[in-house]
Amino acid sequence: MSDTQLADWRNHALTLESEVNKVVVGQETPVRLITTSIFARGHVLLEGDVGVGKTTLLRAFSRGIGGAYQRIEGTIDLMPNDLVYHTYLGEDGKPHVSAGPLLMSGENLSIFFFNEINRARPQVHSLLLRVMAERSLTAFNKEHYFPHMLVFADRNQVEKEETFDIPSAARDRFMMEIPIAVPSDPAILESLVFDTRYHDVDALVGKLPVDLLQFDQLNGFAATLQNSISASPTLRNYVLDLWRATKTPTDFGVKITGVDMNRLVLSGASPRGMGMVLRAARVNAWLNNRTAVLPEDVHAVFHSTVAHRLVFSPVYEMRRTEIAREMLSGIINAIATP
Amino acid sequence: MRTPFLLALCALSMANQAVYADIILPDVGAKYVSLKQINPSRDAGYVVGDVLDRTIILDVKKPYELVKESLPIEGYEHRYRGQISGIELIKISHQESNSSEGVNHELQLRYQVFTTGKLAKPAALRAEIVKLRNTNSKEIVQYRIPSYSFRISPLSVFGAVKLKEEMSPFVPPLFLDDQADLMQLSLAIATLSLSLLGLLYILGVHAWLPRMGAPFAKAYRDIRKMPDNEAGIQEAATRLHAALNKTAGGVLFSSNLDQFIKNKPVYAPLNQELERFFSLSSLVFFAPVAHTHLGVSPKLWLQQFCRQLRDCERGLLPNVKNKVSQ
Repeated sequence: MSDTQLADWRNHALTLESEVNKVVVGQETPVRLITTSIFARGHVLLEGDVGVGKTTLLRAFSRGIGGAYQRIEGTIDLMPNDLVYHTYLGEDGKPHVSAGPLLMSGENLSIFFFNEINRARPQVHSLLLRVMAERSLTAFNKEHYFPHMLVFADRNQVEKEETFDIPSAARDRFMMEIPIAVPSDPAILESLVFDTRYHDVDALVGKLPVDLLQFDQLNGFAATLQNSISASPTLRNYVLDLWRATKTPTDFGVKITGVDMNRLVLSGASPRGMGMVLRAARVNAWLNNRTAVLPEDVHAVFHSTVAHRLVFSPVYEMRRTEIAREMLSGIINAIATP
Repeated sequence: MRTPFLLALCALSMANQAVYADIILPDVGAKYVSLKQINPSRDAGYVVGDVLDRTIILDVKKPYELVKESLPIEGYEHRYRGQISGIELIKISHQESNSSEGVNHELQLRYQVFTTGKLAKPAALRAEIVKLRNTNSKEIVQYRIPSYSFRISPLSVFGAVKLKEEMSPFVPPLFLDDQADLMQLSLAIATLSLSLLGLLYILGVHAWLPRMGAPFAKAYRDIRKMPDNEAGIQEAATRLHAALNKTAGGVLFSSNLDQFIKNKPVYAPLNQELERFFSLSSLVFFAPVAHTHLGVSPKLWLQQFCRQLRDCERGLLPNVKNKVSQ
C-alpha cells in the first residue's frame, strides 16, 4: 500500500476521531484508544461507572465505522444460548427460533457490545472467549463467521454483588481495557448537565456522519498497516524489557509503597498481550504520522493493553486498578531507552 | 739553725692572722650601702660540676670606700661548721664606677659545685663579708652580702623512689620520651589525611573536583573519545540518555521533558536543544533510515550539546555559539 493510501486512511481515522469527540465530549484519550484498537483489530473492555457515556461512545463509533451494531446486557441468568438464539411461540401457536444478537447481523456485525459483562456467568464468558479469539461460532449445525466483529464489553468494578470475576484467560482476549471517567473540566460537566443536545442520545449520535470508514476493509488495511510501520531492534529490546518487568518488577527496581513486590505479581503480561501492545503501538505511530514505532507510542497504549492482563496475589486484587497503574508507571520510569 | 727560725716566723704569722680574722667589725650604717643582687634563675637541681653565677651590685656612698683586699678570693674553700661546704668560688670580676655620691661596685661571682650526695641536700652560696673604710676617720667597718640558698641533687637516684613524695615544686616536670608518640601521631595524621582524601573522592562521586563527577561532565569526557561513525553516534546518544536519566532521577522521554525543565530550571536555556536531541535519538535508534538534518555531524552535535548540558550542570550559561541550527 502506498504512502498516499496510508495517509488517506489516517485522514479518515482522524476525521472519525474528531466527529466522535464532538458527540462524546471530554473523552479524547478513550476515543484515541478505541480508534487505535479498531485499526489494531482488538477487542476492548470498557471500565467505568454508570452513565458516563460508554454506550453513546460505542454507538458513535459503530455509526462511523459502518456495519451492524449489536448489544446484550449481562445478567446473572444469562445463558450462552441467549447470545445465539431465542425461542418463542409465534402467532401461529408454533414454536419459533430466531437468531440471537451474535447471529442476527451475520458477517456484517462490526461491533458487539456486551454490557456489564461481569454480571454474566462463566459459561457465557466461555462462549465469548471463542467468539473473540476465532470470530466464529458453531450453531444450528453450521459455522458462522464474524470476520469484522469487534467485541466491546464493559464492567463496573465498584459493584461486586451478583457478579462473576472475569477470568484472566478471558481478560487476555481483550486488547485493551479502557477506563471511562467523568470529565474533570467544569465547562464540559456543565454542558453535559445543562446542554439539552446531550440529553437525547439518539439525536446526538444521529448527527454523526455515517460510514466514515468501510468496516469490511478494516481487516485488510490493518494487516497492511502493521507491515508498514517498523520497529527497530532498539525498540524491540525495550519492549522485551518492559515485558520482563511486568513479570519480575523487582529486577528493575520497581517499588510500590505498601506493597510487597515479591508477592505482588503472580503472572505478568502474556506473549499475546505484548504482541497486542506492539500492534496498538504501530497504530498509534501511524495515527501520529510516523513510519516507525517510538517508545512514546508504546507508552501511549501500555497501560490500557497490559494492566488488565496482570494477575496479582488475591490480597492485592481489591486494589488492582490503583496498583496496576502505579506499577506500570514505575516500569516506564525505570526502564531506559535505549 | 735557719730552719727552726723560719718555722717559728711562720707560726707567728699564722697566729696573728687567726687573731685578725676573729675580730668582729661593726656593721656599716645602712644608709651608706645599698645592695642589688642578681641570683641564679633556679634554686634547685644542681649537681656536682654545675656552675652558678651571681652578680652583686654595691653602691657605697661617701665617706666610705670599699677595701678591695676584702673581696672574696678565687679558690677559697668555704667551710660551714668546720666542714668544707663543697661550693667553691672559681671566678670573680670587679668593676667600679664613680659618681658624685660614692662608688658603684659590680661584682661578678662564679661558683662551682664540688659536692654531691645520695639525696638532695641544701647548700648555699656563702654570705660574703666585705670591708669598708671611712676615708675621714679611717675606721674599718664591714658589710655582709647575704647568702643564697639552693639545693644540690645527686647525680643518680639510689633505691626506690616515690615520685609523689619526692617531687619538689621547684623542680620542673621531667620530659618523657615522646618520639614514639610523635611517630604514631604522624602516622595517624597521614592515615586520617588519606582517609579524608578517599572520602572526598567518594563523596565527589569518584571525582576529585566538585561536579567533576556529575553526569554530564563524565558523559562529555566519554563522548569526546567516541568515534564519529554510526556506532559512535549510537554510543554517544546512549551515554547522553543515561546522563539525562541520572539527572532527572528517572527515565526521561520527550513526553516528560516539560516536567524535567520544571524540576531543573537550570536546563531551561536548552529546552529546544533537548527536544532536538530527542528527535535525533528517535532517528538514531528507532528510524535509522531517516535523515537527521542537523547540518553537522551528529556526533559533533551530540558532543557540543553535552558540553552545553555540562555548563548548565555547573550553573553556567551554555555557550550559545555552539548552538547548531537544525
